[in-house]
Amino acid sequence: MLTLDLAINGLIIGVFYALMAIGLSLIFGILKVVNFAHGEFYMLGAYAYTLAGLLLGISPWISLPFAFLVGMIVGLIVERLLMRPLYSGYTSWAVMRDEYAVIVTFGLSLLLINLVDKIVGPYAYKGPALVDVTRIALGPVLISGHRLIAALAGIGVIIATGLIVRYSYWGRQIQAVAQNRLGASLAGIDTAKASAIVFALAGGLAAVSGALLANIFNPTPDVGVFPAIKSYVIVVLGGMGSVPGSIVASLILGVLESFGGVYISYQYRDTFGLVILILVLMFRPQGLFGERARDV
Amino acid sequence: MSIKSTFRTHRTGLVALAAGLFAFANAALAADPIKVGVTIAQSPPGSVSQGTQVKDGVEVAAKIINDAGGVLGRKIELVFEDTQGIPEKTRAAVEKLITSDKVVAIVGEHQSSGALAAIEVAHRYHVPYINTNGWSDAIREKGYAEVFNPGNYNSRVAIAMAETMKALGAKRVVAFCENTDYGVGLAKLLGAQLAERAPGVEYKYETLDRAGKDFLPALLPLKANPPDAVIEIMLPPAAYIVLNQLYEQGIAPSAKTYLYDASGIADYPDFWTNVSDAAKNMLVFGLYHPKMTLPDLGKKVAADYTAKTKNQPSRLLFQAADSLFVVTEAIKAAKSTEPDAMIKALEGLKWTGTRGGVSFSTEKAGYRYHQWLDIPYLTFQITAVKQPIADTKIVQDPGQKLDPARIEKAK
Repeated sequence: MLTLDLAINGLIIGVFYALMAIGLSLIFGILKVVNFAHGEFYMLGAYAYTLAGLLLGISPWISLPFAFLVGMIVGLIVERLLMRPLYSGYTSWAVMRDEYAVIVTFGLSLLLINLVDKIVGPYAYKGPALVDVTRIALGPVLISGHRLIAALAGIGVIIATGLIVRYSYWGRQIQAVAQNRLGASLAGIDTAKASAIVFALAGGLAAVSGALLANIFNPTPDVGVFPAIKSYVIVVLGGMGSVPGSIVASLILGVLESFGGVYISYQYRDTFGLVILILVLMFRPQGLFGERARDV
Repeated sequence: MSIKSTFRTHRTGLVALAAGLFAFANAALAADPIKVGVTIAQSPPGSVSQGTQVKDGVEVAAKIINDAGGVLGRKIELVFEDTQGIPEKTRAAVEKLITSDKVVAIVGEHQSSGALAAIEVAHRYHVPYINTNGWSDAIREKGYAEVFNPGNYNSRVAIAMAETMKALGAKRVVAFCENTDYGVGLAKLLGAQLAERAPGVEYKYETLDRAGKDFLPALLPLKANPPDAVIEIMLPPAAYIVLNQLYEQGIAPSAKTYLYDASGIADYPDFWTNVSDAAKNMLVFGLYHPKMTLPDLGKKVAADYTAKTKNQPSRLLFQAADSLFVVTEAIKAAKSTEPDAMIKALEGLKWTGTRGGVSFSTEKAGYRYHQWLDIPYLTFQITAVKQPIADTKIVQDPGQKLDPARIEKAK
């Protein structure tokens, strides 16, 4: 029974990791930069969801899309103000685009953490539960009602994202830009708009992840730091820019941490992902689903 | 006018001028406030909840002191530093307070790891250091003359817990402690005390990351064979998450398993916004309960705090207030802010604080050194969700043995 408990808990945590990592992966796929402020979108979503419920008395089922909207809007603003110089005519900046991206997203991360700390306060808040059922029995496995429903909602969001990216008009344009920005531009695709959509979508997904976990992880201003680190590991493990790779890697990491925490050591739980990261970089640097880069 | 008389006139003028300057300097000196440094966590990952209570406590105490005319005719000025609960930052904060702000003493630290870092600096500069809430015995065991402890200590809690587990008839006990000097130190002490006082008890502890969020892998192994008692030795926000996850998994509190909070977090202002059903039936090690009898100073501090914050007083409030009061009592007794005189005065202190008669042991034996040994404590039980502390059930009165018949078991 413990095995089943650990497997289910690991998969559920994996779903939340996936929500975070997909956004990061999409951003890397289209902009080829790492967003170090990604965890703060998660934090903003957690706060938007929690405060909408606690202060305004809004139903959690309305707070959830509200958190997504907040993440999207902040994502759009960040893309327009901070990320667009990377690919929109600022040639001198493009020379040091990686350095620029690291500094600007890292600075944004610190800014958002400190803003929330000063405006909302440093205290923890438990977000409202999506269902008023403390425990649900799935056969021999006991699981919190909110955790189960949040995981199912997370799976729904992941499927919807996958369908949008794969089949929608804008999803195909995103894919085209991810494959070849110049080629997509020559084919008449508005690459700036595609980038903006990706940033908004990534922000929204991270925010939903934070919102879904707000009842379980009681958000504080620095709540996004750990999930962001996990997301970087997942994106590398799954293959930089690969959405299916990110999903599989998230589930692997969730289950690995769950079992490793019991059968190896709980204290070293956060290191398992980093060990995997090192091994992947040594033996399969393109990740599970990534393609080996070719220079022609 | 002769040269002699001119000289005389000038001399008289100079003397008058010097006397005037001296009087002016003395007046200015008298008006100079006495600076006391306060180190607290005001941002994560430290416990901001604790830091805020300590801040309120010393501010209430400072106002009481200053409204009464200050000390030696001088006002008390508090200089705050945010440590984020990080030892390195705490060390730097104490260094700054001593060398730049020229404080005469330091109070406020509420996390053991921070206190352990801070006392090294206070010891080096020979500045009196009042450990407000660092429970780790290691702070006392250093044997530093500058360090005084009017707050609680791990050995006290470990003894209380071991006796409680014995009274409850527990056979298997599991503790979850945070990965800090306080958490691990208390978990180890509990093991030693159980071995001495209740040798038949099977005990183990698990260390959890205080910045962690998902503790289920550490908790799930208990589901198949729940222990008789789970003891939590953690601070918020991680403590709240552990309580919720223990409850969601049906581990504790339950009909089989008692839940015991060793950290006294139930009276934190944000407790009920983070923990709901999970805290019902929880047993709490308490250093303050509204039904406890307080000296006049305690009543005054409690009333001023409630007027200031609209919150009910907590044990940290009293500890913080006492920390500042003992500094001013030492200055009064020593008639000086000179460190040696203050330390001597603190060693001889016999004073009624907010929670009772305070004096510091001078016995150089481990945790007892410069410790207020007779801190009153009790055990109470939360019997309803969102229950104010005043309505919780006292199951062990101060100075008495725990009465298991008073405890309500979870259904």
